[in-house]
Amino acid sequence: MNRTSTTAALALALGAALATATLPAAAGEEAANEKCFGVAMKGKNDCKAGAGTSCAATSTRDYQGNAWKYVPAGTCEQMPSPTSPTGFGQLAAFEEKQG
Amino acid sequence: MNQSAFAHALLDAARPVPDGLVAWNGSRVDLRFAVYRNNVVASLTDALTDAYPVVQRLVGATFFRAMAHEWLVDHPPRSPVLAQYGEGFAAFIAGFAPAASVPYLSDVARLEWAYVQSFHAADATPLAPAALAPALAAPELLPALRVALHPSVRTLASDYAIVSLWGAHQAERIDALPDPNRAEAALLLRPALLVHVVAIDAGTHALVCALQRGAPLGEAAQAGADADTGFDLMQALAVLIRYQAFREIRP
Repeated sequence: MNRTSTTAALALALGAALATATLPAAAGEEAANEKCFGVAMKGKNDCKAGAGTSCAATSTRDYQGNAWKYVPAGTCEQMPSPTSPTGFGQLAAFEEKQG
Repeated sequence: MNQSAFAHALLDAARPVPDGLVAWNGSRVDLRFAVYRNNVVASLTDALTDAYPVVQRLVGATFFRAMAHEWLVDHPPRSPVLAQYGEGFAAFIAGFAPAASVPYLSDVARLEWAYVQSFHAADATPLAPAALAPALAAPELLPALRVALHPSVRTLASDYAIVSLWGAHQAERIDALPDPNRAEAALLLRPALLVHVVAIDAGTHALVCALQRGAPLGEAAQAGADADTGFDLMQALAVLIRYQAFREIRP
């Protein structure tokens, strides 16, 4: 490519790329998930950070109130959680109600 | 006995128990040292399992732990940060004869290490797509534009379908494995809280590598075209914009 065609190709490509990607899916994907406390089964909580950070899959009880899982946004507070005072998952860690 | 001899004896069971050990209650020091040895090896093996969960799923826990043990006795942690433990394991796997029947294993390990690095990379606010628009107003400056990538960006290319293989093993149940014998390149980045693992083509991989080297945009686009005759610059830029791979641009 010579300089002129590089310039034109870049301008076209960048313009088109911006047009197709104006709604960033990556941001959308993150917004589409929420941390939901109290709905994960024992050992199935999320949080993947590599060695030594040992938080993923470390919950020791089903529906542990301070263990969370990513769930689709808007669904957390509709998920049944027997340990939750509200009866459903919560967006923040909670004190489990006594059984 | 010095500290280094003690540390080496911990990892290598073939070495004698260090001299000069005493137990407070007079029990056998060799047995007590064996407990210490076992805990060190077990905790380092667990650390490798945390960093390389898909590798473990691919070969099973028994094989993985035996392979990890072979490596870790010669590679004690060099940092007190256990999250940084495991660098170089992929290179070991590549030369580990018993794993030769799983030729993609070491590349999957490279991807998992890139994931850990991307996760622990510095936080940074990605460039908003709208901030790229002004650059279009002066197209003659585009080839010389410098694009700084997000600090969490990592890439790797493989002769195997590493992204598909990795992706299939994120599910709890695996119904069908993708055909591994297909070249794939991976882009990893963490624009916010989650690491994205994206399959990219060879041209996009070359473009990102060129940008990481500090090449201006025009040169990077050329690198993409050189690497892949079917290179689609628009698609490549769209992927990078969509996943928020840009940190800043300067003329």
